[in-house]
Amino acid sequence: MMSDLILVVPELILVGMSLVLLLAARRIQGTRVAAFGTVLAAVAAVLGSSWVLSLGAKTGFGGIITLDNYTQFFNVLIAATLALATLLSVKSLEGIPRAEYHALLLLAATGMMIAVSAFDLLVLYLGLELMTLCSYILVGIRVDNPTSNEAALKYFLLGSFASALLIYGISLTYGVTGTTSFATIASTLSGHEAGSNVLLLVAMGLVAAGLAFKIAAVPLHSWAPDAYQGASAPIAAFLAAGSKAVGLAALGRVCLAAYHSEAQALSVVLTGLAGLSIIVGSVIALSQTDMKRMLAYSSISHAGYALLGLIAGTSEGVSAMMTYVFFYVFMTLGTFGIVVALGDRGESVEGYRGLAAQRPGTAMLMLVFLMSLTGIPPTAGFAAKFVVILSVVRGGHIGLAILAVACSVVSAFFYMRVAVNMYMNEAQEPAPSHFPKAVFAALAVAALVTLIGGITPGSLALWAVSP
Amino acid sequence: MTYPVLTTITFLPLAGAALILLAGRDRLARWFALAATLATLAVSAPLYLYFDKASSDLQFVESRTWIPSWNIAYGMGVDGISLPFIFLATLLTVLCIGASWTAVRTRVREFYAALLVAETAMIGLFAASNLFLFFIFWELMLIPVFLLIGVWGGPGRVYAAVKFLIFTLSGSVLMLVGMIAIYRTCGTLDFKALALARDTLSPSQQAWLFAAFLAAFAVKVPMLPLHTWLPNAHTEAPTAGSVILAGILLKMGAYGFLRVSLPLLPHGVQLFLKPMLVISVAAIVYGAYVTLVQTDVKRLIAFSSVSHMGFVTLGIFTLNRSGVEGAILQMINHGIISAALFLCVGMIYERTHTREISDYGGVAKTAPVYSTLLALFCLAAAGTPGLNSFVGEFLIIGSAFRTQAWLGALAVWGVALGTTYLIWLYYRVVMGEMNPSLVGLKLELNSREMATLAPLAVLAICLGLHPEYLLSYLHVPVANLLASGVAP
Repeated sequence: MMSDLILVVPELILVGMSLVLLLAARRIQGTRVAAFGTVLAAVAAVLGSSWVLSLGAKTGFGGIITLDNYTQFFNVLIAATLALATLLSVKSLEGIPRAEYHALLLLAATGMMIAVSAFDLLVLYLGLELMTLCSYILVGIRVDNPTSNEAALKYFLLGSFASALLIYGISLTYGVTGTTSFATIASTLSGHEAGSNVLLLVAMGLVAAGLAFKIAAVPLHSWAPDAYQGASAPIAAFLAAGSKAVGLAALGRVCLAAYHSEAQALSVVLTGLAGLSIIVGSVIALSQTDMKRMLAYSSISHAGYALLGLIAGTSEGVSAMMTYVFFYVFMTLGTFGIVVALGDRGESVEGYRGLAAQRPGTAMLMLVFLMSLTGIPPTAGFAAKFVVILSVVRGGHIGLAILAVACSVVSAFFYMRVAVNMYMNEAQEPAPSHFPKAVFAALAVAALVTLIGGITPGSLALWAVSP
Repeated sequence: MTYPVLTTITFLPLAGAALILLAGRDRLARWFALAATLATLAVSAPLYLYFDKASSDLQFVESRTWIPSWNIAYGMGVDGISLPFIFLATLLTVLCIGASWTAVRTRVREFYAALLVAETAMIGLFAASNLFLFFIFWELMLIPVFLLIGVWGGPGRVYAAVKFLIFTLSGSVLMLVGMIAIYRTCGTLDFKALALARDTLSPSQQAWLFAAFLAAFAVKVPMLPLHTWLPNAHTEAPTAGSVILAGILLKMGAYGFLRVSLPLLPHGVQLFLKPMLVISVAAIVYGAYVTLVQTDVKRLIAFSSVSHMGFVTLGIFTLNRSGVEGAILQMINHGIISAALFLCVGMIYERTHTREISDYGGVAKTAPVYSTLLALFCLAAAGTPGLNSFVGEFLIIGSAFRTQAWLGALAVWGVALGTTYLIWLYYRVVMGEMNPSLVGLKLELNSREMATLAPLAVLAICLGLHPEYLLSYLHVPVANLLASGVAP
């Protein structure tokens, strides 16, 4: 048992730090200790996770937790999301209990890490629940803000519904196979003829639906715009990047490790989710005037692009999804970072008018992130789009590939509207004040990953390897 | 050579752009930009000195591992077809800076930085030796030109910029799918390796791929009916933007046909041959008629590009040697002449602030040098013997007659119309009585502007008198291109 504990070292570090913060809450309320501690814990978690993996990938706790390359990949991504979101939060902490805020971030990240290392449906469920419960509170943490409360309530109601779907799917799977462990599910199902058991198909559909909620894929997307709009920008960024990465990681793991024998049926479901998300996300984003809402719809369409990788059901496709998610996380954090940096002005699309004349550097950073979100080289967004479309074309779905790129032209419309506002319109508001160093550091990291990922598009190929 | 010439000239402007953005002083920006572009031109000298015209292979080849996991290398190389475009791109950017010296007064640093990034994209595109790199540079062109039009353009600039962006992006995403489909089937994107592996693409696949690439190329050329972004973009862009658009960007599409469609997709080309020829001739005649009725000088020149680029695609799809050579020659000619015309218009616009033809008249009275140069460029554009366009149009029309007589006949009609609108433009702007609103304006060119136009005037005359200088680069690669199976 003790030897199993090292598999959860990263989680233990995060939980430990959150407990420390909670214990010391009264002493550190006015200081930056909490933020510092959170970033430190994120870095330590990555180091710990790398150290454990260097001892060899293995499964523990009776086969319900695994730490392999795949887990490590997403652990790094989650830690990066946590650290960057913490840095971005520095500016928007007024009136919020700092220690609790950071402790919740840490616990949400812990839940994420548990979910990506789960090798059992129930552990997966627990990890996701831990993440979502903390997220509900984080969305509504600005208690005196009515939109924030409304968003939290909506998110909570819809989230509970989705959790119910997921647990129902898990229980049906248990009914069919008599187990919740991925490995045993796979070995039980290998004897079955694919598509013969309707109950199993329903179970898979429900599990997929529950996970689709986490990544805000259409038709389970409706919480995202409200939650992002109501939450503070750093929390919206944390959800857009982290929740999505974890949902996709879990989906990838479940598809490959548990339900692989039913790949055909799954691919139909995923094709539907992906296609709808891409279309709905990019079309509805066109009419948005609130920046966070627009980014919410954009993140919905990005969820669709990432799902494209999973359709093929091959390990190549899964690594395409991993690459996409990796780059997506950084460009999204970067874009939200600009929103944070501009304060109130950054919240509406019109607020970007004339930014290039007032703050050329900030505008250029934003332009890079927007190019990346659109998928224009030489940014990471292009590399990401290239790999997922390659995997779709490999799977023979040319039509889907054309749909995806056509929607990326639609998305260019709303991304470039921000660019038009920044560069081609006159400013109507005074120049934004300079932003804190912490925000700058987060933006620099995001921009570096976005640019390096674009210049060396294959840089992730050796690392983004599916299990 | 001791240095990688192509990589150096591709990324030198980018370094210049970074320097300009970091240097922080507007006054220095244009000097830095001028230095960067002149340096690029100077560093490219070995390309012309040591180029072997007898070889059809890519020369000055550079290859480095770039994305080993995808089997994609960083590859550069030029042949006789791409070399003239590199020269044109490096030269025109220098002239663009000359033309913007006093015309651009707002956000100067960003302007020159965007211009230099565009130069990197242009040179890189023509120097790329694999499709992936070609695509990267193709897309890299998008944002700087979008900004050039949208930030420093005329009154309708935002609409023009967005229209440009959406049109080009729509085309290029289909090229992306095409490129990925090729990559999936052939496992490589290197032009040379693809030429060998192209038989793995079935005829029907080739047809689809041709259509996908056509979407990207036809928007850039532009071919009918995808030309509608062009009048807006060219008209609203600042002078330097119009020069880049007309001089280089339009050629990127036609170059794409020569580099991708013809060598890699011969079956696709055969299938689409007839429609391509018809569309080309339609563009020549329709473009010319639309040009005739324009009242805005810049818009007139912009529409004339539709007609002139029709000649280029007509020449390419005649698929015989003189036609293709004529098309390439004509691309360079058009790059020289339309750039010169836009420069001329921009220079006088700086003084009069109007683009309406009816606001001009009698310019020759106070600006003899300007009028002479404009006459030279108008005559060159109209295809007057002794000036550069004549040779290109002659070669193209000759091979069009050989393909289908009616194609040649319509193309000749296009030339006649071209002469009409150019001479009429010249007549209305330069000759006759002085327009009262121009009296008192100092219209004559200053020495900086003369120096900007002089290289183009020299080129127009030299290429007119001795086209073989350029054609000698084309003979071997074009013969090789056509012999590789695309010609009927």
